[in-house]
Amino acid sequence: MNIFRIGLLLGIRQIQRASIWTNILIVFVMALTFLNLIAVSGILVGLIVGSERALQEKSLGDIIVTTKDNETTIIDTPAFTRVLDSIPEIQDYTVRFKEGAQVEANYKTRRDLSQDKNVISGSIVGIDPIKEDAVTGLSTTVVEGEYLDTSEDGYLLLGALTLDRYTAGFADITGSLENIYPGDTVRVTIGQNTKEFFVKGIINAKAGEVSRSIYIPERELRRLGNRVTQDAEEIAIRLQANTDATMVKNALINSGLAEQAKIRTFNEALPKFLVDIKNTFNVLGTFIGSIGIIVASITIFIIIFINALARRRFIGILKGIGIDRTAIEIAYVIQAGVYALAGSLIGVVITYAILIPYFDANPINFPFSDGILVAEPIGTLVRFITLFIITLLAGYIPAWMIARGNTLNAILGRK
Amino acid sequence: MSQTSTPIITAVGITKSFGSGDLFTTILKGIDVTIMQGEFVAIMGKSGAGKSTLMYQLSVLDEPTSGTLTIAGESIERKNEQERTQFRLQTLGYVFQDYALVPDLNAEENVMIPLVMRGMNWTEAKTVAQAAIAAVGLPTKYKNLPSELSGGEQQRIAVARAVAGKPKILFADEPTANLDSFSSQQVIDLITSLNRDFGQTIVMVTHEREYALGCNRIIHMEDGLIIREEILKPM
Repeated sequence: MNIFRIGLLLGIRQIQRASIWTNILIVFVMALTFLNLIAVSGILVGLIVGSERALQEKSLGDIIVTTKDNETTIIDTPAFTRVLDSIPEIQDYTVRFKEGAQVEANYKTRRDLSQDKNVISGSIVGIDPIKEDAVTGLSTTVVEGEYLDTSEDGYLLLGALTLDRYTAGFADITGSLENIYPGDTVRVTIGQNTKEFFVKGIINAKAGEVSRSIYIPERELRRLGNRVTQDAEEIAIRLQANTDATMVKNALINSGLAEQAKIRTFNEALPKFLVDIKNTFNVLGTFIGSIGIIVASITIFIIIFINALARRRFIGILKGIGIDRTAIEIAYVIQAGVYALAGSLIGVVITYAILIPYFDANPINFPFSDGILVAEPIGTLVRFITLFIITLLAGYIPAWMIARGNTLNAILGRK
Repeated sequence: MSQTSTPIITAVGITKSFGSGDLFTTILKGIDVTIMQGEFVAIMGKSGAGKSTLMYQLSVLDEPTSGTLTIAGESIERKNEQERTQFRLQTLGYVFQDYALVPDLNAEENVMIPLVMRGMNWTEAKTVAQAAIAAVGLPTKYKNLPSELSGGEQQRIAVARAVAGKPKILFADEPTANLDSFSSQQVIDLITSLNRDFGQTIVMVTHEREYALGCNRIIHMEDGLIIREEILKPM
């Protein structure tokens, strides 16, 4: 205990008496190391989390209901939605009818039958524009033209990724419509039925599924698809704020709705590739951050080594007057620990008070995501502990090297 | 020496060599010396005579190449590094040539740390340290850093640190080497009074004969050997 108290006194006094600029520089290095550790993986993971958020906000909702594996629609969708209406935790839901369709553009200006049609195949979604907007804010994704009006027939929304001018290099793979703008007409064919629609708006969301789809009012889709029932393919549910999705999902299952459809929370419905990419980015970020830790530990090692070497004579004198060398080693470990702690604390403040709010307000604009900075408290704690332990070691080793030397040689300054 | 005195240091056949091959040098060539409890001994000699080297062996700061050393009834040569450090803490006090205070600690803390290391609690160590600093005539300098003290004041704090724990033996290695004559005399008076008033056993290396005049005995060295012992004041 006394050894520790003396080590603490020596360590604190060394920091107090050291040059303020030296202390600032070391803490700055530690803070940058900590930020490197948090920010690199945080931004990489944030790209995927941004993509997940977009998927949750613009497509899947908090709970997504889809058809059972051996069914083509949600069984007795109206009965299903009546149960949804009775659950107070559900803020809104939107029923989606989906069909595969062909959309042809520029058919009026096609000069002869030998010329290639300007046509794409894609997913057409029948929606109640008001309910869809309430759940996913679809109207906010309109980048050209206007959003659908429930009272109008003969209008559709085209996802930006169906258009040549938005898809750039992707066009050769996915196919796209050329020279289509709001106000133009396109021909939609579902099965044997074809109808001409005016393009009312172009939508573009970070959720690729939305930007690849075509939206029309649900009654038009049911009519065009010769549907005689109101059974739909998908229901996206938005919950009240701070509601546990799993709890609501279980409530729905307990109501017997699992017999009619597959009910999953957003997290359960996430595409596996997103989860895989997130994990990979996490590993990659940690690897890059680890290099930062090694650099920081070498920095601390050098600083402590030079410090201990410069004080070698006093270390010798302390040992000479009977101070246990462990107390001297503790002094340097405490010094390194204080630097790591101070740097990490500054890093935490910068991360949580500045960087995360900043990236939330100004996400990095990637084609597939609004990249944010993700720093889960548990992950941050683990990285902090890792940095702290490695820094303590980096402080201990040079102190041990110097303190274990011959006492008299140290006092006399002999090698 | 009185018949009741008991030996506190007994060194027999102490040698110290450095280097190897062509660079092999023997500094101490077989020293036999006994120092009695309560005795004040000065070691004198020209530069290179081996006086500091002898003091390092006697003060357990160094290990002799050969020979046996018994201090306060304990055989030293069987002790490992940690035991030697512990022995120095419990039994010996040191005043080095150039003050050797820890620059980051103030005067009080410099004196306190060996006391805390011995197991004294913080408050008690502080009280003892302040008393020791007051005893060397610097009662207003507790909180001063070494850099805020003159050379003479630093050496007096070093003496306070050395004696605050009441060591059995005080070693002083040319304690006046870096001081002006006034400060030197103050430090010598202080060390002499410790022996005179408290019976402190003291072994001091010095170049200056005038500073050794308060000793009981002067050991004269030349070329790694004791060539003469001079009794000034029988115990």
